[in-house]
Amino acid sequence: MVQSAAAMELYNGYWANSYLPSAEILWMVVILIVALVALWQARIFVSKF
Amino acid sequence: MDLQALKKLEHQRRVRYGYMWALFCAILWGLWYLPGTVVWVLNPFDEMYAEIAAGSGDSIALLVTAVLITAFNALTVIIALMVWNGVLGKFGEMKRTLVEFKPCSKWFFLASIFGGPMAILGSFIAMGFVGAAFAAVAALMYPVVGSILASQWYGEKISKRAATGIFLIIVGGFVIFGGGLLTELGSGNVQWIGYIGGLMAAIGWGIEGAIAGKGLDIAEPDVGLTLRFLGENIIWWVIAVPLLAIAGFPMIKYALMAFEPLTIMVLVFAGITFGFCYVTWYKSFPLIGVGRGQGIGNLYGLFAVLFVILFFGDVPSWTLLLGGAFCLAGSFTMFSEDTSSLESLRGD
Repeated sequence: MVQSAAAMELYNGYWANSYLPSAEILWMVVILIVALVALWQARIFVSKF
Repeated sequence: MDLQALKKLEHQRRVRYGYMWALFCAILWGLWYLPGTVVWVLNPFDEMYAEIAAGSGDSIALLVTAVLITAFNALTVIIALMVWNGVLGKFGEMKRTLVEFKPCSKWFFLASIFGGPMAILGSFIAMGFVGAAFAAVAALMYPVVGSILASQWYGEKISKRAATGIFLIIVGGFVIFGGGLLTELGSGNVQWIGYIGGLMAAIGWGIEGAIAGKGLDIAEPDVGLTLRFLGENIIWWVIAVPLLAIAGFPMIKYALMAFEPLTIMVLVFAGITFGFCYVTWYKSFPLIGVGRGQGIGNLYGLFAVLFVILFFGDVPSWTLLLGGAFCLAGSFTMFSEDTSSLESLRGD
């Protein structure tokens, strides 16, 4: 199934009033960066304790 | 350096890591409200909601749709946790913990009952009925439940400072619930199910934390949490979804339709944020205790409201902000406690 026009309009509407540029992409970039830093810190933690 | 100084240094390092994990939990938990909110408007969940609402009414439609979304959330979380455990090389430990059901994994399966069908479902219900900011802030009361249970059950110490923090969080909770309720009572349109969802989240996560604290006495947090989500997946995919399908709801049809690129991508990001926030939450418990881990993890309320404002452009009502401020003040009161008092987390 593909997204309907109404679903896409509502989805895009969430990011339309954002204070940040390209919010519809940026939220995923932010999540990936934080997740990778957490994983990197977990590796350090495992090696120390 | 003598043995005592080395011990103190090691203790300080552990406490520092404990607070760092709790802070990671707060940031990732706050981020989870972004995919957790937008997934509601995507196909097939919007169509599922419309179809069920036409036959059974809006409230039932929302509850049943929330079950399917929560089930998919649990599925993507366990995939994210497999990546986490794979990177950390914990698969061997996972097998060892899984087979030790009685002393070990039973606690995590028990935690999954309170964390999944109660807390996460409650949070999705609150998001669907009232909104993301309310769902985030309502659950801020969960450390109160968690720390009181941990103290009564296995004697985890609660200092005067921690008790002050808990009191501030309770005040914040009353402002959050009371403020929203008064506004809606004035308009004559109270979304009771949404408020009950918020309460389910607060109580469920509090109880889960206390149970997890018990299980983490003898198990690894990364592995323990993965088993907890294994339990939650069993609850949703083996019990709840089939039962609802037998009851006549179109669960299987819409579950198969969910494999759409945008929907799956949003669910994967929900899984990454929620899986990683949960695992860092569990990692903080053995280092700083359930009460403090939950107290600092509570900063997710601040991050959730902040991310909702930044990414959605929605500014929450003043009662939410005031209640959130009380909860944050409570969290900071716990956070700023002298770490030497944490040398032993349990009462003597």
